[in-house]
Amino acid sequence: MKRPAIDIDRLFRALGDPTRRAILDRLSERPQSVSGLAAPLGITVTAVAQHLQILEESGLVQTEKVGRVRTCRIEPAGFTALERWIGEHRTVWERRLDRLGNVLAEDDDVK
Amino acid sequence: MMEERSVIHSSFVVERSYPQPPERVFAAFAQPARKRRWYAEGDHEIQEFEMEFRVGGGERLRYRFKEGHPIAGSEISNESTYQDIAAESRILMTSKMSLNGKPIVVMLATFEFLPAETGTELILTHQGAYLEWPDGPRMIETGWQDLLDRMAHELAN
Repeated sequence: MKRPAIDIDRLFRALGDPTRRAILDRLSERPQSVSGLAAPLGITVTAVAQHLQILEESGLVQTEKVGRVRTCRIEPAGFTALERWIGEHRTVWERRLDRLGNVLAEDDDVK
Repeated sequence: MMEERSVIHSSFVVERSYPQPPERVFAAFAQPARKRRWYAEGDHEIQEFEMEFRVGGGERLRYRFKEGHPIAGSEISNESTYQDIAAESRILMTSKMSLNGKPIVVMLATFEFLPAETGTELILTHQGAYLEWPDGPRMIETGWQDLLDRMAHELAN
């Protein structure tokens, strides 16, 4: 099964804009239409569409047009990759501190 | 024009309990030969590990990913400075991690060694500024699909 590619640089650029983060906040409540997103944010539908394109390209959002309505929802894949990248660091430290436990126990045996 | 940020801040805390007393656990951080065994060692080739355990002293760890790793041959470098040391109780370090010479994370790490009924409670508080990741998605692809599968499994339960 082919894995979709996640571009970390794109992810960070996508998240670096406060309006896009606000869009993600709203989408995390429930899927929304493009016009439904525009009004509360006080921006035009065109502006929302531009932000959504960036979010979709970075794998954070999925949009689908049914009839005349474009619906947007959160796409878990992008968040997984981002969390994974930051989480990697935590994992490195967890492994190190596990090894520390082994080292301390080995030194106990030597005594 | 809105300037886009290319840094993300993230903090995490890792706690561990060890049956040994704080002096022993602290010594595993303070003595280079001991620290190397758990901190520098790993699934990689160590190129360099040096440390000066004193306030203002530096620490350098460099290692290379082995064959079979998605970015085999690439080098990680950690340059750190000891900012605060309280004997047997606290170590505070700043660090910069680079991948093939390009900075990827700048971090602040605090280690607290707390006496506990059965030895020591170690608390690592890690605060990082994650810069743009060079070399794209290769580091992330490995295990990514497994992670998604695991997440789907958790969500289903």
